[in-house]
Amino acid sequence: MSDAPVIRLEKISKSFGEVRANHDISLDIHEGRILALLGENGAGKSTLMSLLAGQSQPDSGTIYFHGTPVSFSSTEKAIEAGIGMVYQHFKLVEAMTVAENIFLGRSDRVWLSRKGLNRSVAEIANQYSMQVDADTQVADLSMGEKQQVEILKLLFRQSNILIFDEPTAVLTPHEANNLFETMRQMKADGKAIVFISHKLEEVMSIADDIAILKRGKIVGLMEAARVSSTRELAEMMVGREVLLEVDHQPMETRQQVLKVSGLNKDGLKDISFEIRQGEIVGIVGVAGNGQKPLVESVCGLQKVDTGVITLLGRDSRDFFARRSWDKALSYIPEDRQGLATCQGLDMLDNFLLTTRQGFQSGPWLPKHEAREKLDYLIKEFDIRPPNAALLAWQLSGGNLQKMVLSREFYRKPRLIVAEQPTQGLDIAAAEDVWNVLLTAREQAGILLITGDLSEALELSDRIGVMYDGQLVSLFSRTDEEMIEAIPQMMAGLA
Amino acid sequence: MNIEILIPLLAAAVQSGTPILYATLGEIFTERSGILNLGVEGTMIIGALSGFLVAKATGNPYIAFVAAGLAGTCAASIHGLVCLVFQGNQVVSGLALTILGVGVANYLGTPYVGLTAPGFDPLPIPLLSELPIVGAIFFSQDLLVYLTYIIPVLIWIFLYNTRFGLSLRAAGEYPAAATAAGLKVVGYRWLGVLGGGFFMGLGGAYLSLAYTHLWTNNLTAGRGWIAVALVIFAFWRPGRAVFGAYLFGGIMALQLRLQASGTQIPSSLLLMLPYALTVAVLVLSSWWRGKTDEPGALGTNILPAD
Repeated sequence: MSDAPVIRLEKISKSFGEVRANHDISLDIHEGRILALLGENGAGKSTLMSLLAGQSQPDSGTIYFHGTPVSFSSTEKAIEAGIGMVYQHFKLVEAMTVAENIFLGRSDRVWLSRKGLNRSVAEIANQYSMQVDADTQVADLSMGEKQQVEILKLLFRQSNILIFDEPTAVLTPHEANNLFETMRQMKADGKAIVFISHKLEEVMSIADDIAILKRGKIVGLMEAARVSSTRELAEMMVGREVLLEVDHQPMETRQQVLKVSGLNKDGLKDISFEIRQGEIVGIVGVAGNGQKPLVESVCGLQKVDTGVITLLGRDSRDFFARRSWDKALSYIPEDRQGLATCQGLDMLDNFLLTTRQGFQSGPWLPKHEAREKLDYLIKEFDIRPPNAALLAWQLSGGNLQKMVLSREFYRKPRLIVAEQPTQGLDIAAAEDVWNVLLTAREQAGILLITGDLSEALELSDRIGVMYDGQLVSLFSRTDEEMIEAIPQMMAGLA
Repeated sequence: MNIEILIPLLAAAVQSGTPILYATLGEIFTERSGILNLGVEGTMIIGALSGFLVAKATGNPYIAFVAAGLAGTCAASIHGLVCLVFQGNQVVSGLALTILGVGVANYLGTPYVGLTAPGFDPLPIPLLSELPIVGAIFFSQDLLVYLTYIIPVLIWIFLYNTRFGLSLRAAGEYPAAATAAGLKVVGYRWLGVLGGGFFMGLGGAYLSLAYTHLWTNNLTAGRGWIAVALVIFAFWRPGRAVFGAYLFGGIMALQLRLQASGTQIPSSLLLMLPYALTVAVLVLSSWWRGKTDEPGALGTNILPAD
């Protein structure tokens, strides 16, 4: 690291109200190197990067660009300096084509011809061996392809400092490998790359330097080559020994809580299985192989017109016509910002969304009682910041998920449908969620939909594999032979 | 129906469709930037009165026509101020603009009711107007009608073939993406609101300067609302707007002719026809939902970054 850094952050601090998102952060970004920013949810990674991208300004501290202090007072200024962000939530206009998205905001020409745009996009895409069709609508692309469009946007702008905000969170393993290939290529071209993640293995495999953020501060800064194991990183990140394995004790299964038979719709092909109280049935598979229609059918969000779904011994139509608030079905959706919570309501109102039972008397909602319960749950689930008056959008993803889980488990559900329950959560939070799910088997049967194989293996009593709308197989966690074959089944090879 | 009746009817359809077309194009332009302006009716009538007054004062209908457009821009700027500066509710602001515009125009216009002003008269285009059928329908109109043969094309080229149009559409589709691309979203929305207001004002001026050459209160008579509905019918595309505007123009012209022919149908029912068609069109359009180009962020405000 002999050459001067292209960006130097010196004693950067940023607070939101009383929350110190970044505190006294000093960091160098070098050309031709990949810097990984590692940290739990809410550690301040995204805040730090939004300062670099010109979306907000630091309260104190200086940003140096090629040695001179600069102020990125707007996104345009950051873009001019060659800083490009690949956001976790893509900033793409879905209703426009790939080429239109790439040329959005470029000021070098007034007249845009569709053909000309498409040709120039294809050129750059080829150069970085990306396969995106410039004339396709973005809405029709997969997550991996959308990300490629984001990267192409930056390449077109000749961005030299590329910031990736948790880029692999939405990718399949194969797509993630392609991304790493692109990142290495860009690094070889002399671009500076910042890679935000909380996946330790990825960081170890791709990064040159690693900075670890914890509660807004940098607690570790090292060259990746000097890190002996992911365990070392994990310890620094959470500040305590991480238990990546949970204690999975088999439980006696009792009465049936869910029975699906002959479900045939929306791409699903003759799905049949049952879940009993006391077990977790984990469904693994690459996203888009029928998990969504399955979950929505079970949870009553789609009509069941072929096949039969029986919930707690009652036909689903009957079940949803007379559902009670507790001792019933809890749905923990993947989309915690859109489906599980209302962004503009505070935690208490969000808590009451599904959990009014016990708090309502006639038409009234005595909020103070609910408030007491929620305060207890906030402590129990360690939701930070511990303030029931915070609005949902003010919570980080992990804390919001904990809020949703605390709410749903409070209802003492008999059947839990959990969709990617730990996606985007840090290790400590994921572990909490896992333990909560395992304990919940005492009172409930759990349908777990996950794209994370290790999660399925850790938690499930029985594991099912979905491919192309079919439940390829369903087997016990002790069946080593079948577990070996899961990757092939997920790829449709078995 | 024989051809002697049909051709004048179709010519009248083009003529009565023209003010709606101007307003619809204006509303498309505004909505494409993400701002819903329900003040079309008010903006139109302010344009109509301004055009009339300027024509009366200067005697020059061309100046009057441009002045009407600028008056429309001024009226729309109220909406821009509420929505883009103060983040007010777009629906409420638009409704208020309509009520305000109609009220102001009727108040200021009362002394002029029944008076005439110089305007645009039919100006058959040599050769083209000689064409059978088409000539009589499309090329024996006035200058302001001919303008609407070009304006949709220009708007289409602007929206789809220039970077400004791309940016304006992005501001209406997904402002976060436009911001991330370094664009001034609020600026493009201002462009949408003010530019759209200009066309709405022109639509109003067509009524006072060409359709009639005189001022009456409530001159727009709900045409602004029809334009709002037509935007949906047009799937937010300028080309389809032409088709829709002439369809409504046709119904309005037909309704007038039926009344004149002394039919047994009560005139109030006939007067209702265009509005009944509006409802029908909205219902039909909702069936095609998903295939339209409805801007994704239509009606949402841009909050200043904190």
